[in-house]
Amino acid sequence: MGRVYGEPAEVQAREDGRPTGFAWRGRRYAVSAVQEHWLVNRAWWRESAPLPARPELEFWRVEASTGKGAPAGSYELRRDIAAGTWTLRRIAD
Amino acid sequence: MPAPQFTHLHVASSYSLRYGTATPAVLAARAADLGMPALALTDRDGLYGAFKHVQACADAGIKPLLGVDLLVSSGGATPRNPPLSRGEGPSPHTASVARAGPIAETAIVSGPPAGTEARGSAGTEARGSAGTGTGVAQPGFSGRVTLLATGRQGWGSLCRLVSAAHAATEGDDGPAVTLELIAEHAAGLVVLLGPASDVGVAVAARHPDLARRALDRWRHLVPDVAVEVVDHLEHKSTIRAARLAELARDAGIPAVLSNAVRYLDPAGSLAAQVLDAARHLVPLGSPRLVPHNGRAYLASPADMAATAARVAAAMTGPGTASAALGLLAETDELARRCVLDPAYDLGVGTHHLPETEGTAYDQHKELRDRCEHAILHGRYRTASAGSRPRGVSRRKAAQQARDRLEHELDIIAKTGMAAYFLTVADVADRIKDAGIRCAIRGSGAGSFVNHLLGISAIDPLEHDLLMERFLSPVRATLPDIDLDVESARRLDAYRIIFDRYGAERTACVCMMETYRARSAIRDVAAAMSLPPDEIGAIAKAFPHIRAKQITAALTELPELRRSRLNDAQLATLFGIAQQLDGLPRHVAMHPCGVLLSDRSLLNRTAVQRSGEGFPLSQLDKDDAEIAGVIKLDVLGVRMQSAMAHTLTEIQRTESKQVDIDAIARDDQATYAMIQRSETIGCFQIESPGQRELVKKLAPRDIADLIVDISLFRPGPVNSDMIGPFLRTRHGLAEPRYPHEDLAAALRETGGVVVFHEQVLRIIDVLTGCGLAEADLVRRHLSKEGGPERTAPWFRAQALARGFDLVTVERVWQVVAAFGGFGFCKAHAAAFAIPVYQSAWLKRHHPAAFYAGVLTHDPGMYPKRVIIADARLSGVQVLPVDVNASSADWTTVALQDDASGTEAAFPPPPHSPLQPERPDTPAATEAAFPPHSPLQPARSDTPAANDPGTGRPRPGRSPARRLLESTGPLRFPGRSHLPGGHSARPVAPPRTPRPVPPEGPPDGTARVHRAGKYPVPAASPQAIRCSLREVKGISDAEIARIVAGQPYASLRDFWNRARVSRPVAEHLVLIGAFDSLYDPRPRHAPNVRAAPRSPAPPAPTPPPPVPTPPAPRPTRRDLLARVGVLARQSSSAQAEAPVLDLFAGAGAEAGDGMADLVPAGQLRELDLAERVAAELEVLGFDVSQHVMSFYAELLAGLAVVSSAELPGRESGAAILVAGAKVATQTPAVRSGQRIIFASLDDAAGLVDLAFFESVQDRCAARLFGSWLLLVRGRVRRAGAGPMAVTVNGYECWDIPALEEIRVAGGMDAVRAAMAAGDVGPGAHQGLQDQPPTAARPGQAAAPAVPAAPSDPAIPVAFANGFILSPYAETGGPGGNLKTPPRNLWHASPGSTDTPN
Repeated sequence: MGRVYGEPAEVQAREDGRPTGFAWRGRRYAVSAVQEHWLVNRAWWRESAPLPARPELEFWRVEASTGKGAPAGSYELRRDIAAGTWTLRRIAD
Repeated sequence: MPAPQFTHLHVASSYSLRYGTATPAVLAARAADLGMPALALTDRDGLYGAFKHVQACADAGIKPLLGVDLLVSSGGATPRNPPLSRGEGPSPHTASVARAGPIAETAIVSGPPAGTEARGSAGTEARGSAGTGTGVAQPGFSGRVTLLATGRQGWGSLCRLVSAAHAATEGDDGPAVTLELIAEHAAGLVVLLGPASDVGVAVAARHPDLARRALDRWRHLVPDVAVEVVDHLEHKSTIRAARLAELARDAGIPAVLSNAVRYLDPAGSLAAQVLDAARHLVPLGSPRLVPHNGRAYLASPADMAATAARVAAAMTGPGTASAALGLLAETDELARRCVLDPAYDLGVGTHHLPETEGTAYDQHKELRDRCEHAILHGRYRTASAGSRPRGVSRRKAAQQARDRLEHELDIIAKTGMAAYFLTVADVADRIKDAGIRCAIRGSGAGSFVNHLLGISAIDPLEHDLLMERFLSPVRATLPDIDLDVESARRLDAYRIIFDRYGAERTACVCMMETYRARSAIRDVAAAMSLPPDEIGAIAKAFPHIRAKQITAALTELPELRRSRLNDAQLATLFGIAQQLDGLPRHVAMHPCGVLLSDRSLLNRTAVQRSGEGFPLSQLDKDDAEIAGVIKLDVLGVRMQSAMAHTLTEIQRTESKQVDIDAIARDDQATYAMIQRSETIGCFQIESPGQRELVKKLAPRDIADLIVDISLFRPGPVNSDMIGPFLRTRHGLAEPRYPHEDLAAALRETGGVVVFHEQVLRIIDVLTGCGLAEADLVRRHLSKEGGPERTAPWFRAQALARGFDLVTVERVWQVVAAFGGFGFCKAHAAAFAIPVYQSAWLKRHHPAAFYAGVLTHDPGMYPKRVIIADARLSGVQVLPVDVNASSADWTTVALQDDASGTEAAFPPPPHSPLQPERPDTPAATEAAFPPHSPLQPARSDTPAANDPGTGRPRPGRSPARRLLESTGPLRFPGRSHLPGGHSARPVAPPRTPRPVPPEGPPDGTARVHRAGKYPVPAASPQAIRCSLREVKGISDAEIARIVAGQPYASLRDFWNRARVSRPVAEHLVLIGAFDSLYDPRPRHAPNVRAAPRSPAPPAPTPPPPVPTPPAPRPTRRDLLARVGVLARQSSSAQAEAPVLDLFAGAGAEAGDGMADLVPAGQLRELDLAERVAAELEVLGFDVSQHVMSFYAELLAGLAVVSSAELPGRESGAAILVAGAKVATQTPAVRSGQRIIFASLDDAAGLVDLAFFESVQDRCAARLFGSWLLLVRGRVRRAGAGPMAVTVNGYECWDIPALEEIRVAGGMDAVRAAMAAGDVGPGAHQGLQDQPPTAARPGQAAAPAVPAAPSDPAIPVAFANGFILSPYAETGGPGGNLKTPPRNLWHASPGSTDTPN
């Protein structure tokens, strides 16, 4: 299942939201393929802040590596659509 | 590149109950905006939205497709159908085998696929999801499929399949079909197997072999199958969609793309999520719900093309390069096949009347024959001298009748409606033959044919009513004949119709109950896991308004503004609740509509079973019109039941058969009573406003009653039509007509336009268009923009006919202003008959009338008002007596006033064997004479002396409280009976009504009498309270009590009537056993003659021997004895009932309980306790008026009684007080929200008005309190002495003031009143609201993502009439001070039914 991180990440993405690369713990990763892409509403009913129009979380599982020759890994990135923030959720083994 | 054409084939609208969130209209409009050529509606479980969709598509200019989304049963769960799995070898015949059967649907999907955090879901959503691959795992079910209709045959199959699905499912489960059932109805249907089908589920579970077998089975049984590919961008959904598409490709069947739509926009997913939770009764976040995102929306062709590309990209194997285009092309092709033609396929635009014998020619001839026969030999009464207009000869009358008949027959022939008239006449005859009262309502009373057929009691020639208002060849709509029947026998009338026409031609009309503010808040709050008591408090704080108005109401309604509900925490809740506004949540049987069709009915509508067991069409009344199916409205009207009961009671006690439908309609004594506005309890004319109007109008005949009913409408009232009318009527002004040619049309109303019929005549006179055309114009005028569009035509026509410009403009102003809301005279005429009949009964048989009204509760007032009116009319109200009361209120003749002895009557229908009891002393002892709150209490009644402190604990019976506490009882809620400080309550003055001599009232002569009417000595003068009024009593208990009458003792009653302990206690508390223990010598009831209960377990006690007076047990003693009996019964439960060894020793000793609880051991209830008990058990005070307990307080404040009110000067500031019996917030001219309230102060009613300017400080207390003290100014609306109201501007809660008086005296009361802080609105009120509601410091957050709250814009009409958006909405609930039962209510309602 891999390891779960849930740490903020800095992500470059295309206009349609598809990530092209990201920076995490000081290293830059290039995305070579999207393996999975899905959306889930977050638990908006538990939040006391005003509700955003789209309380969706967008998940991208991508194949990425730190550069040519480096081994490719499977990384799960999550974007909060309302806030525009990215999180590195987990890394597959 | 332009996106390719796309049609959505799988769309759920809001008619997928608690699933879809968008209306058909919104969906069709969006589809058209998106450039789509067509749109399907495939609601879940029913076709409720089908004709709305057809209409919406027509409006949007696109083509409709229709289908349904159904749950598929795998066979075991619905035993009425053969199990699934034909073609798979031997059929497994039990559920358990089915589950492990060849396909093993449930096994594969019973757990969520591993490793998906977004899953964890399959459980409950089994019957729920149409999303991609979301689990379908409820045992016994194997997924959902979508079926689309092709052509007329397909639509018929669809209707029959949905009906079969409902018929095959029992209980509360939604409908489900087996595969076989689908196969049976497959002609013209296309089956879409999507991700929620067994095929899709198998694919999602990565069982391609099982998926293939499931698919093969479908293809084997159903000719037309396609795979439906959906990708909602859920976890793994894309790859599953790709695999499903591959499966179709490999199997060689079409794969189409859909979005399984359930809302319009992504933002709609929140409401959908809440609906899922509400449907499954689990909180949001429950692992049993599927995760949501916002993707099940009505996506654009471009979005769908992107989805197709994404799915194609995930496919492997041959042909993937063209897969995206292939999906879209197949979708388009199927859409073209499934487009329906409304006229040809659905039968829109043609009528489907019931077949009768013979051809249309024969039907028409039969109709003519029957009508002519009626004129010559039958029921047509105008030809007889009595009802013929003066100066019209018999011959002329007959000629007029024949002319009118020819005219109507001509219209009927042109519209082809002869069969309809014959059918309705047949139905009405059969209903009447069954002894059910039946009267016409509505425009049908304008038809002479209806009168001649006996459908209508009104002669349209006598009242100048028009056929054209009802039916004309130029109108496309079907005519409506509405029948009013007794509410209590409405379902009997339905059975008669179904028995006659059969379920293949008849079905009830359905109606959707929709979300409103309270229900929406409840469901959203529950989904958000708020505690139940907080949910209740929030929801009850809202009046019954539409959910859309929640946010606006929060800021605009004074009583909510003070409630601190504007909390950021609640913003989300309210935002979602507003989105649920108007969504259907429950299918119900329309209260009156019955469809009558030919034998094709079941090909035009799906039918399910109503809760009452009737076939229920999935068409609502608007759909029926579109579908061309005739609807007959059979309304239950409580007044008809009340009158039926009245007639029964007259027959029983006076041995007189009154034919109320044959009485002369010119009884001056009846009109005199109406003119005195003594009309409480009468049909339609009992409200404060109507009492004021009849006083001013002084009706003298039926025609006046027709005008009265028509004038009492928001339009006329607020357009100041009444003033001019009254002035000309009373000869104070000459009638003025816009033009002399209009005099004939307007003479009857003094030049004022009151009736639709007059509008028709005016238009006809001015334009010469004919009455039929004029009715079309009138209908058009009431539509938005109608007057503007009509004006040019009207002016041109009228000028062309030679009217001058000034006249044309003047008349046009009148037509434009009043055309929209005049009143149909035929409707008013139909209503005038029961108005007159009820008034006649009240005037001539008052006791029986009150018994009828109290039994069937037809009016707007709580029973306490009717009871007070009965007393004011000289009718005694006798309390519940276990030996004398029956299921309904009954009349009792007191043989002679001095002894108060009851006369012997045949028993009421429910107690067939009641023996004669010549001198049962019940009446004198137990009757509470009307005006004697000072009646000495029973000899053993000590005055209450100990001031109470304890408040009643909620949820405990009053009986237990009484036994545990000897202190005075408090009223329910916080009310407080001031027992200790005034040894005897002082009653407000309560004089009987002054009665002017009958005839035209001159307003001067006053005669005081015991009652209003000279009641014949032999006529019943008292009514007996029914057992049904007792709180908590069941019908079975009532039946046993009545069957077992009479009873010799409490023990005898306990053994034979076998009521629950609380009911026995309630009966004791209200004195229902007092007559059994009366100390005076008497003849005991002849119990030997009464082996009543069908199989009484106890032996009938031997006749008691008269004994010398013994100390009689108090009600507290009896209460204690009930406890003893209950304990004895429970200890001897399994044994035979204890033999009553003491039964032979007289009434008291016969109880056999004197040793256990000796008589007189416990203190008797004092008066205050009796009243409190009555309020709690019966809901009204019998022994004494509740206000009498506050006499000292009210006297100290110089409160004015309702009897003194007419003597007060206009404008004087006064205090009034009473128990609130009605609140109304009707539409008024200014657009203000005015709260009208009525207080019962023991002397009569005080009518109050609260204007908007004072509602800030008054509204909360006004709605929240029951006993009110009000300061206001006297307003005299007209000349009559009755027309006095009080404009309130301050109000207080009386029990709260009384507490202050007890503690600090009158000075403290005055100080508190001056400070304005007395009452629930100030002290307590909404403090009971949940803590979340009171979180200061948090700014109110905007309700996102709510639809913008509808601003509460007043609705303005052309004539300056403005309607407050909160008009007709009641106050908020949570009336903590209201006694527990239906003491007062805010809804008018003489019928059961919203029409």
